[in-house]
Amino acid sequence: MLERWITALHTEEASLEEPAATRERLKDRFPRGATRRMTQLGMLVGVALEPLAPGETDTIVYATGFSETRAVEGYLDSFPSASPTLFQTSIHPSAVQQALILRQQAVHQFFPLTGNACLPAQALRVAWLAETPRTLLCGGEERGTWLLENRSASDRSFAFALALSASPVGAIGRLALTPSFNERAEFALPAFFDVLHARRAFDAPISPSLRLTLDWS
Amino acid sequence: MSASLPPIRIAACGGLTAFGDETVTLNALLDGRRALAPMPVLGREGGDPVALALCAGRSYDETSPPDWLPWVRRLAARIPGEGWGSPRRPVFVTSSNFGVGSLYAFRRTGDASHLNYGTPATCVDALATQLGWGPDITAFSHACVSAHLGLLQASRVLAAGFADEALVFTFDFLSPFVAGGFHALKILNAETPAPYQDRPTGSIGLGDGAAFAVLTRARGDFVLSAQSLHNEMHHFTANRADGAGFEACLAPLLPATRGRRLWLKGHGTGTLETGRLEATALARHFPGAPLVSWKGGIGHSLGSSGLVELAIAIAAIRAGRAPGTVGGAAPGFTPEVAFAPFDLAAFDGLLCTSNAFGGAHAALLLSHA
Repeated sequence: MLERWITALHTEEASLEEPAATRERLKDRFPRGATRRMTQLGMLVGVALEPLAPGETDTIVYATGFSETRAVEGYLDSFPSASPTLFQTSIHPSAVQQALILRQQAVHQFFPLTGNACLPAQALRVAWLAETPRTLLCGGEERGTWLLENRSASDRSFAFALALSASPVGAIGRLALTPSFNERAEFALPAFFDVLHARRAFDAPISPSLRLTLDWS
Repeated sequence: MSASLPPIRIAACGGLTAFGDETVTLNALLDGRRALAPMPVLGREGGDPVALALCAGRSYDETSPPDWLPWVRRLAARIPGEGWGSPRRPVFVTSSNFGVGSLYAFRRTGDASHLNYGTPATCVDALATQLGWGPDITAFSHACVSAHLGLLQASRVLAAGFADEALVFTFDFLSPFVAGGFHALKILNAETPAPYQDRPTGSIGLGDGAAFAVLTRARGDFVLSAQSLHNEMHHFTANRADGAGFEACLAPLLPATRGRRLWLKGHGTGTLETGRLEATALARHFPGAPLVSWKGGIGHSLGSSGLVELAIAIAAIRAGRAPGTVGGAAPGFTPEVAFAPFDLAAFDGLLCTSNAFGGAHAALLLSHA
């Protein structure tokens, strides 16, 4: 069994909120004027990560299936005069970079993942194999517009960040992964977020080969 | 970081560029040939000419299904073994583009069939179906260091005993989406690479690329002796001017390089400031070690470049001769920059480096088992 202790958790539920509303709601959490250039996902991930005070020696594992959907949409719509700003903002893993560049916070180990039905399982396995004492597992999505209409974007906006440690000191919860065999098992990022946001206990297969057990103190 | 991993062996490795497979590419680079050629940045819709290196006969304008699929299939057919994508034989897919060209095509044409490859997840799912892989697939996307993340995570999975073998598969095929973005950043140049030293920021060319590596604990004649990552988080498109990011990435590898006679395969896209910082940092730690870049010949294959160029490097070591910095001309950023091919008999290790947006850095040390 692979076991890690949750020492901190922050979630941001923006659901159907428009980016402008998120910007207005969160602008005081960032340096003055900074949110004008940030994506909704960048703001949400930044606010979720900020209380965890990422440091250079943390490993950061970042999971998102669609990343900066609004920037991708805007960039595609900017052709034939492609927007350089939207291009660089649309590049995976922009959200975490937006947050950490604002803080000028270097980090050695940064693993951005993408995926769909089993993305949390993949991200958790990367987190488990991190070499650093603390691992920050974060993720999120932002609600799309025309890409959503074409089932190529998230239908809600959210973000989370949790700190994982091999030590139970100060833990608020425990994550355990055990081998499991269930070919149809899926557990996508929104479902993982919902469990974290509600701090709900969980015990079920999350991929064809892994079972997740989540307990809260 | 991660220099502490036990050595992981490479049981098989292959690559694809606009020239062909890694052996064909090696020979082309040894001959000093360049696959980069000027093309309209928006394909059939025109636009400024930019330097691109596409696989021969491949359409730059996206088709449905993507016309890069046959190239991927041919490359994948060379991967030895079966059962990839199972718990003991996981797959690590890396890319910075995935099928984003299909997203561009969908927006231009409205043809919904392009969306079957439009997001990273749908693209990887479609690829897995095409290639017969099981569901144990982890996908990394970290711009131009993506392939290094796949190699490092695959190494960790093997070192932990979670798998018997691991496949790292990477692919990046050009489209107006990505070339349009780099052109908007004003770093593409139809005349690349010749005049890049004369431009204020330099200029780069982009190229198709795909590659694979089968990693094991005990089989194969090459070893990944050490791997390292660092992310400056200083600026989206610039490195710290003091070169601290390059130093931070190299530092964990230095103990493993002691006593070795190294040659260096740098990132070397053709951007002046980054090239200068990289060459300076490498020359400081490895004085006299020849430094080459091949992107002036094959173009920058973006998230795949780390593994594409590793495949070419392994072919070079097998052949005993490395290409120089194709498309460049003296003077280099440092005297160590090699422009002519050279024999490898005198060397027993290779350091490969990659850089990416956000000040991301990755490096690995390769040697014979």
